[in-house]
Formats: sequence, structure tokens, C-alpha cells
Amino acid sequence: MSALPKRILKETERLMADSPPGISAAPKDDNLRHFDVTVTGPESSPYEGGIFKLELFLPEEYPMNPPKVRFLTKIYHPNIDKLGRICLDILKDKWSPALQIRTVLLSIQALLGAPNPDDPLANDVAQHWKENQSAAIEQAREWTRQFAQ
Amino acid sequence: MDMSSHPLLASMDEPPPFPSNYPQLRRLDRSVYCQICKEPFQGPVSIACGHSFCSSCIRSSLDVLKKCPSCNEPASEGSIRRNRALEEITDAWEESRPIIYGFAQPPIAKKRPAPDSGSKPTSSSNTKKLKTSSREASGSRSQSPTKFRISNEEQDVDQTEDLQDEGNDDLDDVQELTENDEAPCPICQATLPISSIPMHIEKGCPPPKTRTNGIRKGNQKADWKKVFSGQTSSGKTKEVELKRITKPNYMIATPADLRAILAEYSLPTTGDKEILIKRVQEWIILFNSNLDTSHPSSLSALRARLSDVEASKRRDKEKGKDDMVAQLGNRDGLQKYAKDKKSEFERLKREIMERDKRRKDEEEGKGGRENAIEVE
Repeated sequence: MSALPKRILKETERLMADSPPGISAAPKDDNLRHFDVTVTGPESSPYEGGIFKLELFLPEEYPMNPPKVRFLTKIYHPNIDKLGRICLDILKDKWSPALQIRTVLLSIQALLGAPNPDDPLANDVAQHWKENQSAAIEQAREWTRQFAQ
Repeated sequence: MDMSSHPLLASMDEPPPFPSNYPQLRRLDRSVYCQICKEPFQGPVSIACGHSFCSSCIRSSLDVLKKCPSCNEPASEGSIRRNRALEEITDAWEESRPIIYGFAQPPIAKKRPAPDSGSKPTSSSNTKKLKTSSREASGSRSQSPTKFRISNEEQDVDQTEDLQDEGNDDLDDVQELTENDEAPCPICQATLPISSIPMHIEKGCPPPKTRTNGIRKGNQKADWKKVFSGQTSSGKTKEVELKRITKPNYMIATPADLRAILAEYSLPTTGDKEILIKRVQEWIILFNSNLDTSHPSSLSALRARLSDVEASKRRDKEKGKDDMVAQLGNRDGLQKYAKDKKSEFERLKREIMERDKRRKDEEEGKGGRENAIEVE
């Protein structure tokens, strides 16, 4: 295990010592590449007041390849599907090794504050969002109350 | 949670950050850090857009994605240039950091309870320290270029010697070349039959095999000996080896080509093509980036690092398997696994079907197919 890249150790240490507001991340005891993450819903978003659990995994090629992140808490969001997978460019083609766990989690938090139904992953949710935004937002609030509190 | 209590986070010998009331020093500190490994630059290089990274970091990164990690500009390995000034700055800063950290530390001293007697001697001793350190730095600055000049000269001498040798050998042939004659490859300078040069270049200039081996038998034996007797070897063999490795074209390189490259640097040649490719790729990054620093590691140290990397990747893979087993415990995980491995399942299915087809008649083939479907 001593061969775990120094960068991962450093990032972990910094994340835990001073994590960004509304975000916490801690590695599992048996595997430092596997993180338990919680993100609080941004203020004045339908997810406000919710605490969302995620899992984050650093693949062997990290930081050359992006971390794998997934919502464990059910969430009603046009860019997050039923399985918790996230449609976010920096987790795919816009990944750069200059990014890090911190920036990824901040981007995910920002995604909660700014759903983008034009680049959907959950098509039904996106449809709902486009056709009746207020109803969709109300639904997202309801899910937040039901699953994330 | 306290990090030190985590069982897997052993001793982290991080230098302490500068206090927050010195944002300039924090900025300075950050500026000698590579954006990829988040460590002070090691063998810094610049690419076309002007951003700098450790040589090995950007080489690994460009292997995956041909873009600058900082600005997303298209980038290629060909644009990598050694950044000697940045290396000097990084070294000098690393050296001075503890001293400046000392200066930045005690705001208590600024209170100056006894204004003259206390502050004067310390400041003079400080300036002394500064002077000596700057002298040291300038010393090392003047040292490293001379070192390079020497090594460059040696290299030049070797090369001209080589050229002369080749010239003498070829003197008679040079006049009229036919397809069967040998000529140096225009890219890697290896001597090859002219007819095979196009294919040789196509394959990314693998080291020439049997024929040249035969010619240089004596030399090579000696080289091997030197390689095995540890890396105390004289400058000359090092000079011969210290040339950037040209990447083979992994699509058409045969396992034998890859093994030849590995053998040239006395690395293990075991494993299937995938493993060989990984090893060659990793080695090229280690080896080529080692040429971009004035503190190069010995070849044996590079070999040790390669073996570490391989071992840790193997461990990670085994670790990943454990996670996989856990993942298979729930339905979502199972679905995901089936999806991720779909191509592998397909491949296995095809293989089984083909094997069966080859071995026996339709009946067997159908059986194989059914089994495969059940597996999926």
C-alpha cells in the first residue's frame, strides 16, 4: 500500500483537514482509493436542506483518468440518473490531471445548483424539467425531503 | 477526523505551509508545484502553450490525452522542451524554503521588546545566511551547465567516433547502394537493409535485431556486462544509452519487437502483449523523463521504480477484484458489472463458439452458445 501515489495521500489529507463548505470526503479504512462523500444541497436550490451521499473511486490511472463518482442517495435531477450516475463533462471528456477530488466535488455541488436539462442523463426528468419546470422543482424538493434528510 | 489516526496514511513528511498572513510566499510556494503531481517540479519541461510540468507527469498525461492539462490546448509530445530555468528556480526555492520559512514564522519577534540589541544581530546573521546560500546557489548554477557541456562533448565525441567507424566500414559500399545494402535509418540511425527501412520506421524504430546484433556482438556483450555489474559504469556506455527512446507503434509492434526493446534495457520480457506494452510505455516515460533533469537517476533506480509501479498496479488490480466481489452482492452492482464486462463476455462467447466450431459439429457449437448466454 506504500505505493499509493503521494498525490492521493496529499489530496486526502488536505480534503480532510480543510474540506470545502458543504462537502465532506473520507477514504474507507481498507481502501484509500475509495471515498465516502457527502454533499449538502446548495442554498436556494430544490436540494437545499438535503444531505446527499456519494461514493468516489480513484482508478488505477488517476490522475491521468478521472475519478468515478456516483450518487448513493436518490435524487431528482436531469443530469443524474436512477443509478446515481452523473453527467458532468469534467468526469468524462473534459477531465484534466490538473483537476482534483476537491474540484470534482465542488463541480458536483454546483451541478445541483444549476441543473441542465439540455444535456440530460435522466431523460424523463429532463423532459419534466423542460415542460413544467416548477412542478419538476417541486418534485425534486419532495425527493430531497424523502430521501436526503 | 484526524488523519494521523488513519491506518493507511503512514508518515507524511509534508513541509508546513506558510502562514496565511504571507499570501505572497504561499503563491511563490505554489508556483514551483507541478499541476499534475502537486509536488515541486522534477525535471520540469514546457509544452507548446507555455505551461510547465514534470517531464514524467506530462509524458504520462499526453499518453492518455493530447491536451494541456492546464489550458486544454492541443499538445503533443513533440513540443516537450526541457525548462532548465524552472528547474534551477525549483531547486533554489527548495533549498531556501526552510530559511524563508524561518523568517516568516515568528510574528512575536516583530514586537521587539528591546528594539536595538535584539533585532540587529539577528538581522545581520540573517543576511549572512542569505549571502552564503545565494553563493551556494550560484555555485550550483555555474556547476550544472559545465557538467552538461562536458557530457554533451562526450556525446559528440562518441557520435563522431561512431560516424567515423561506420564511414570506414561503408566506404566501399557508399558509391552504389542496392536494396540489399545497409544504411542508417534517417530517424534512429540504426543500420538496416535499405529495403526494410520503411517498415522499420513504420514500426516506430524498434532496435534492429539479428543482423546488427551479429555485427556488434563484441560490443553488446560488453554492454550487457556493464549493465549487470551495476550502474557504476563509465561515462561511455551511459552516453550510448542516454538517448531518448522512440515510441514504437503499439498497434503493429509484435511481442517480439517489444521484448527487443525491453531486452535492450535489460528489463523483464515476460507476459503477454498487453503487459509488454504497459511495461514499454512505463519505461519510456521513466527513461525519457530522466533525460530532462540535471539530477538523473541511475538506470538501476529506474528499473526498481518500474518494478514498483508494476507491483503496485498488480496489487491495485487485486484490490479492485475484492471491491468487485462486494459490488456483485447487490442488484445494481450486478447490472453494472454485466454492462462493464459486456465486451469481455462477448469476446469469451465468440472464442468459445469458434473453438467449438473448430473442434466439432453444430451440436457442440449450440451448446457453447447456450452456456455463454446463461453466463451473461
